[in-house]
Amino acid sequence: MSGENNTTKTAPVRDLTVKQGFKLSKFLVSWEMVLVYILLLINIVLMMKKANLYFSPGTIQAIIQSGMDVCPLVLGMIFILMLGDIDVSVASTMIFASMITGLCCQAGMPGIVGVIAGILAGGLCGAFNGFFVAYIGMPAVIVTIATSMLFRGIVKIILDVNVLKVFPSFYTAIAWTNIAGIPLSLIIFLLMGAGFVFILQKTRFGRRLYIIGNNATCAQYSGIDVRKTKLFVFVLMGFMCGIASIFFVGRMGGSVSSTMGTGYEMTAIAICVLGGVSTNGGKGKVYGPIIATLIMAFLTYTLGLLEVDANTRKIVTGFILIIAVLIPNVNRQLMANIKLKVVFKGNKNVEALNNKTAEEVKVLKNTIAETRKDSTLNEADKSAKIKKCEDKIASLQKKCKEQTAVWLEEQKEDERKAKARFNTK
Amino acid sequence: MGTTGKNKSLLSRMTESRNFGLILGLVVLLIIAAIITPSMYSLNSLMNMLQNNAVYGLLAIGEMMVILTAGIDISIGATLSLTGVVCCRLMAENPGVPAVAWVLLALLIGALCGAFNGILVGYFKMVPMIATLGTMYAFRGFSFLFSGGQWWFPHQFTEGYLKFATLRILGVPAILWILLLVFALAILFLGHTSRGRRIYAIGTNRESSQVAGIREERVVFLAMTLCGMLAGLAGMLYTANYATCSYSIGESYEMTAIAICILGGVSINGGKGKVDGVIIGFLMMSVITYFISLLPGLSVWSDAIQGAIIIAAVALNIYMERSAEKRALRERGALI
Repeated sequence: MSGENNTTKTAPVRDLTVKQGFKLSKFLVSWEMVLVYILLLINIVLMMKKANLYFSPGTIQAIIQSGMDVCPLVLGMIFILMLGDIDVSVASTMIFASMITGLCCQAGMPGIVGVIAGILAGGLCGAFNGFFVAYIGMPAVIVTIATSMLFRGIVKIILDVNVLKVFPSFYTAIAWTNIAGIPLSLIIFLLMGAGFVFILQKTRFGRRLYIIGNNATCAQYSGIDVRKTKLFVFVLMGFMCGIASIFFVGRMGGSVSSTMGTGYEMTAIAICVLGGVSTNGGKGKVYGPIIATLIMAFLTYTLGLLEVDANTRKIVTGFILIIAVLIPNVNRQLMANIKLKVVFKGNKNVEALNNKTAEEVKVLKNTIAETRKDSTLNEADKSAKIKKCEDKIASLQKKCKEQTAVWLEEQKEDERKAKARFNTK
Repeated sequence: MGTTGKNKSLLSRMTESRNFGLILGLVVLLIIAAIITPSMYSLNSLMNMLQNNAVYGLLAIGEMMVILTAGIDISIGATLSLTGVVCCRLMAENPGVPAVAWVLLALLIGALCGAFNGILVGYFKMVPMIATLGTMYAFRGFSFLFSGGQWWFPHQFTEGYLKFATLRILGVPAILWILLLVFALAILFLGHTSRGRRIYAIGTNRESSQVAGIREERVVFLAMTLCGMLAGLAGMLYTANYATCSYSIGESYEMTAIAICILGGVSINGGKGKVDGVIIGFLMMSVITYFISLLPGLSVWSDAIQGAIIIAAVALNIYMERSAEKRALRERGALI
């Protein structure tokens, strides 16, 4: 006992809490807030265009309900993308799970057995993907493309052209009921989202995903079982597909056929990317995709109300996806590179000189401002000092201009010489 | 391994060749097909089989170039649809224009689509999967907008247009001659020009090829543009072959093209794979699809069988690669 006490006393107290204050200015321009602005913008557009419809009861609920059938897929996809992998078999897995539930219910089993069987079937599909990705080392894109064909193919073989219609009654209730004006599906979605936030932010498992996504080799060497984690994430995705089948079948009015739900995987990936999850892995939060799910629902509904047809909506979705990925690329480095190319003709010496001069000029201008404010000096001294600084600025700028001209001239001369030499050869 | 293989027997050299497994698989498939559906073996039906699958061959060659740069292009099905629709509509409206113009137009539109992808992936450094996912949506949407939901039927097609796919020269349809030409050009381009070798270099090791002075953006741009161009050509030939067209053609063709590449031994991680492998993969895929279509009641199985074959092929491919690596190590004496 005493030894333990000793160690606790002598051990250095390490303060591991992150001391990052809450900054409003930073919070307002974060990606999640940008998404909220977009959501508000869409709402305002809808309000302006169809005011009487917007304020009539039930519209907002209908819009939210229309977008909720993809939400479990989005939550699962966040983890997959976090690893730097991708899963395009989710729609097929979802249909597969629905089929299992439907078959169980058709055979007269109690509803709950069917639901559990469906979710387990989804998990099994996920485990199949995960085994090939994690333990055989196949690229996730290829595996999931193949399994999306495989799972849907199995559904086609079993169902052929039949439609399953026997499902537990709570399926449609989940999709279409409101509790105190809030759609039940939204409540379930937010609860699941909270669970995922907790897993990703507060558990060891969630933090491991970030490490693996950033550097899988590094994660392996720091003692994380990368394969097991990957398998687990894929199985989780499979379970989420099973849960998604409840939402999906409910929204379809309690029926399922083999051709339903194509393109859901693309929507789920698009929502995740829009929500700021990096497809390279290791970057992203759960809040972004949750807001993005709502954005997508409002966007499709609004475009539909504005009488934009389904295929134009496809174009809009495609371009939103591209732009959402492009925006984080437009950063300071890119701007500097463009400036170097356009303004300084790719000459790094000129760039460095100009930047240096600009800095010096800035310092001098600051001194001028300080001198102006300084009350200890009399007017004559002040003006003399300011004059001196201004002269200095002018001379610096002149020097810089001359030097730039000289260097650019040299560069041109060099290029001309190189060209001439190349031509003679 | 090439230098140490001189004093080996013919058999062991054959089994070590990368295409050995593929050819063996093809032979097995052909034997099974000969037992179950002997009607497949007539010159006419074989020609039909190749003619109807030629579009996949064109797409696969384009896709291969992109996969070699360690990228992926899933917008080629949509590109095919867009070019098909544009060519058909303009052809139906101006029947007097010589048919060569439509081929050139198809190449141009395809190249533009590919170039757009290339700019996104090469210059803006977007993840290829996501960029082409976005453009897939966009191209398919444009295709619908341009078609207006309309269908084109055989009586609207001009003679010259159809001839590009169906005219028989020496008993072989023109579309197959075009395919052969593309195969030959691809072998020359990828194997014997510096630009083609740069595609391999980028796929094998991005950093060192950049250090060696290869401009990555340009190579990726070139590969994706060529891929789009071939998809455009495939779109025009598809409509000419079947003499029908709507905006929904070419749905999920990109998956088949990728499957052919994978079957043909093109590594999805880039830098590995040859045109001859893709040709064998193309033949295999044609035989499989034709074989399935001949069996009664098996058409619902085609998706599942294709998916299973891809998984098996990739798993086998990875196993072969690993064992080849081990063998190379053993030959150098590094592995006991």
